Amino acid sequence: MSLLRLENVSAGYGAVEVLSDVTIDVAPGEVVTIVGANGAGKTTILRTIAGLVRPRSGRKLIDGRDVSALKPPAIVDLGITLVPEGRQLFPFMSVRENLMLGAYKPAARAAIPERMEEVLALFPRVRERLDQYAGSLSGGEQQMVAIARGMMANPRLLMFDEPSLGLAPMIVKQVFEIVDRVVAAGTTVLIVEQNIYHTLSIATRGYVLENGRIVMQDTGPALLRDPHVRRAYLGV
Amino acid sequence: MEVLPQLIVNGLLLGGAFALISIGLTLVFGIVRVVNFAHGELFMAGLFGAWLLSSKVGLTPYLAAVPLVVILFAAGAAMQRFIIQPLMDADPHIQIFATVGVGTALINLALILFGADIRTSELPWAREPVRFAGLSVARGFLVAFAVSMVATAALVLFLKRTHLGRAIRAVAQNRNAAPLMGIDVPRIYIITFGIGSACVGLAAAVLSPLFPAFPTVGTYFALTAFVIVVLGGMGSLEGAVAGALIIGLVDSLAGYYVAPDLKEVVYFLIFLLILVLKPAGLFGVRGSE
Amino acid sequence: MRPLSIAGLAALALLFALPYWIIPLIADAGFWQHVFVTIFVYAAMATAWNIVGGFAGQLSLGHTIFYGIGAYAAVLLNQHFGIIPWFGMLAGAAVSAAAGVLVSWPCLRLRGPFYTLSTIAFLEVVRLLAIHFKDFTGGSAGIPVPMFATTATGMEQRIGWAWMLFRERENTVLIAFGLLVLCIAVATLIRRSRFGYALLAVREREDAAEAVGVNTTRVKLAAVAVSAALTSLVGSFHGIYLNFIEPETMFSLATAIQLAMFALIGGLGTVAGPVAGTLLVVPIAEAARGWLGATANGLHGLVYGLVLVGIVLTMPQGIVGALKPRFALWAGPAHRPPPAAPARDEARARPPIGEPILEARNLTRRFGGLVATNDVSLTLREGEVLGIIGPNGAGKTTLFNLLSGFLPPNEGSVRVRDASGQWVTPDAPHGFADAGVGRTFQIVQPFAGLSVRENIMLGAFHHARSRAEAEAEAERVAALCGLGHLLDLEARSLTVGGAKRLEVARALAMRPRILLLDEVMAGLNPSDVALAVELVRTIRDSGVSIIAIEHVMAAIMAISDRIVVINSGRMIAEGSPEAIAKDRTVIEAYLGEEYVAASA
Repeated sequence: MSLLRLENVSAGYGAVEVLSDVTIDVAPGEVVTIVGANGAGKTTILRTIAGLVRPRSGRKLIDGRDVSALKPPAIVDLGITLVPEGRQLFPFMSVRENLMLGAYKPAARAAIPERMEEVLALFPRVRERLDQYAGSLSGGEQQMVAIARGMMANPRLLMFDEPSLGLAPMIVKQVFEIVDRVVAAGTTVLIVEQNIYHTLSIATRGYVLENGRIVMQDTGPALLRDPHVRRAYLGV
Repeated sequence: MEVLPQLIVNGLLLGGAFALISIGLTLVFGIVRVVNFAHGELFMAGLFGAWLLSSKVGLTPYLAAVPLVVILFAAGAAMQRFIIQPLMDADPHIQIFATVGVGTALINLALILFGADIRTSELPWAREPVRFAGLSVARGFLVAFAVSMVATAALVLFLKRTHLGRAIRAVAQNRNAAPLMGIDVPRIYIITFGIGSACVGLAAAVLSPLFPAFPTVGTYFALTAFVIVVLGGMGSLEGAVAGALIIGLVDSLAGYYVAPDLKEVVYFLIFLLILVLKPAGLFGVRGSE
Repeated sequence: MRPLSIAGLAALALLFALPYWIIPLIADAGFWQHVFVTIFVYAAMATAWNIVGGFAGQLSLGHTIFYGIGAYAAVLLNQHFGIIPWFGMLAGAAVSAAAGVLVSWPCLRLRGPFYTLSTIAFLEVVRLLAIHFKDFTGGSAGIPVPMFATTATGMEQRIGWAWMLFRERENTVLIAFGLLVLCIAVATLIRRSRFGYALLAVREREDAAEAVGVNTTRVKLAAVAVSAALTSLVGSFHGIYLNFIEPETMFSLATAIQLAMFALIGGLGTVAGPVAGTLLVVPIAEAARGWLGATANGLHGLVYGLVLVGIVLTMPQGIVGALKPRFALWAGPAHRPPPAAPARDEARARPPIGEPILEARNLTRRFGGLVATNDVSLTLREGEVLGIIGPNGAGKTTLFNLLSGFLPPNEGSVRVRDASGQWVTPDAPHGFADAGVGRTFQIVQPFAGLSVRENIMLGAFHHARSRAEAEAEAERVAALCGLGHLLDLEARSLTVGGAKRLEVARALAMRPRILLLDEVMAGLNPSDVALAVELVRTIRDSGVSIIAIEHVMAAIMAISDRIVVINSGRMIAEGSPEAIAKDRTVIEAYLGEEYVAASA
């Protein structure tokens, strides 16, 4: 059974429909990526899963249960966490407090010290910054804190929205190493990333999104070879 | 008796009294991002509550703090839940109007219930002076100052050390990211508005032996609290305390050295200067709330 | 004349006839005439308040400053110098307008509640000063309006038209009504003028208003001056009418709140709203008081507060705002159907690319530690289309904000050749607009509460002198941009594609010489993109120089003469579309080094 399934979901903002009839499955242990041009609706898919956008039609299932109407906190409680685009840290709190907030849901609170050790083991750089304001870190460090914060709740599915956005090429490399580590740790991952080569090469499966519709799906490496992908992504 | 030290002590104690009211206001603004124009009227309601509890029920004003804190928490939470919450996405003007409407209704409700007369909670002990080092201060002001400082410290600790407190600050700093942590943002708003209002409940109880209740008393305190909060930086608790002490001093010194009826002019001018020159306040960092 | 205007005039006539002719026939005229004078006075002031609070969206809760100034000017000049109130009234209005500008100038850049707080603070200061300087103002004891004065020739009775003081109430009804009509007339004229549209633009979205060339500070100050002067005129009359003035009632916060309240209840920003609000609430409050007796002191205030909360929760656009769509239906279509799209003149050839028209030198802009724009220099030539591309977060929009004056650079400068051929470096967005720069916003910034027509008119008002001219221009541009059939739709209900086209239309209606297009094709479907490409070419062929940020590669390749590539705030490549498409650094920036390495 799918851990997560969007079934014929349409969604949007105001009068605008961004997603039309989108169906996506994520099975436990998978690394799934969504590829598509800017404005295709990738972020909206993640926001819909996180409960920030409600599907207008279609269903959202977690472990086969219809959770279309649940609000974001309830989705977090079910073990699905979004690492949002642009990092979105709490800038005037220490890194430690940011991480603690990652484990805000009651089920995760008791285990904060142990969990923090586990997560920090993956992010030695973050450990050095624990007592600094999150807002004072560099972009790359902030992205690491954002990922570490996402892992604090020990999610079953971790979603990344453009983790390399606005980072210098060197830092992008480091962020991808972190993503690799998260995948290696066995977390199920759904990732949206403009830098498609890396994500497709590690993805078990990928979807191609165009104008709010899924137009292709295949294994990551197969999509990487497909000329249509380059067109869909770059629009050239 | 030396005049200046006495004026300074008077000013600081008065500032302590203002601090508690200002903290409630700054907290609500910092977290919910709504300027509660009815804040002073909640304080007025608290003063009347203290008067009712002391004169009709026979509760010492200070003990009235317990029920008043509970009642005002509930009133504030209800105000957020039923009036502000539906308007969270509306134009800020609409929110201002909503709280102004609540304030106007409360003032006039008090006028209907209690008339325009002045009602004082009797506690002669509070008005008796304590003398030390050639200075003289009313006991009630010492109590108010102490309660104010302790309550502020408790609130700061609560915000820094507890999960709920951290969640409240998280909502203030990034309300888009907070729900992704599993924080129920509307609930946080309701709790915060409740706490902000509970602060004026506590303030009303400790100040009731010193300041009489009348329907428009809130306007004076609210305006002073606005001055303080802007001075200290909207949303900053520490700033509100510092701002309160400064305004207390200005009140006391300007009342003596300028003219008693112009002391408010002095601090309103300070307020306008701050708004224009340093809108983030003396202690606020822009966006740090 | 439109049916709605006729209905409005008829209602006004009835409003006057009631206390002046009709009620005296059947009831105690004195009491009712007093009620109506009160209604007229409040309705007039709420209407005046609405020019600032409703049209310009600056919520003042200190407007009784001007009411008080008016009253004190009339009474004090009368008392001390024997000057008749009609002159005192004018003097008060002048002082009020000046005070309004002086007080608002530093405060208008404050937003939302902070502006409101500053108006309250000023009101308190003025009230306290009026109490303090008692030799001049009479202090908190107040001053009566003199009915008699001792002059060289003996006692003079200061009653009659000259002194605005009457034994008969009818005359006061007449004056109060005259003031109301004056306020309504001014508000109507403003609402229908270029100035009024500029105020609405400021209210809806200040950035977009600057982008269409509105000097937001100046129009706000002008609104304050007009509103203050009108409020002051009413205050002068009312002070005399009340026979007695004192700081607490003249500079009253509660009254200032009521003015704003009446306008909101009736409908902010509508001409009829403030009058309707006053007419609704004042009688309800008076009736409640009459019904429960005078013992219920404060009842009218309670009614005001509750009605206000009820209105904001149920119909925040106010009574008139909520009812208007229905009335409009009943009154029939207000506008002519738009003309058919003009035939495009296919024959026009593209003008040649000419001299530089915009130059940016070494632009650097930092946000905290982040360098969003890093030493970027570029030149746009007349008639050229310059494309800017780069991955998400590369700093393209920041560059646009620097080029249009929305952000000052930390280093470097931008200069523009204006219509007269002079190189200028404006210091505010509206200055760039005046120099001929039009822009769109990536995150669309429609004036959401206005119609598509009004949105485009706001662009057209950059050159149009009259409403008719702006309307004609709006219809022409709307047709060009494919919005012809949506002219009467509220801008907030447009689709993404429609809103993007509106961005272009509004900028185009300014008749810019330089047009900055920020991702106007993002999120469009392929057929819309093709239309947009065609539109950009048409604009170019009309002689406009264009800089376009775009993510839709096919489109940017098709429209650009030259492309600049930005990554991490730096310019990493520049050249013809063909050269850019093959550039290794560019592909790397988009797809990652690994991709380049793998496909090599």
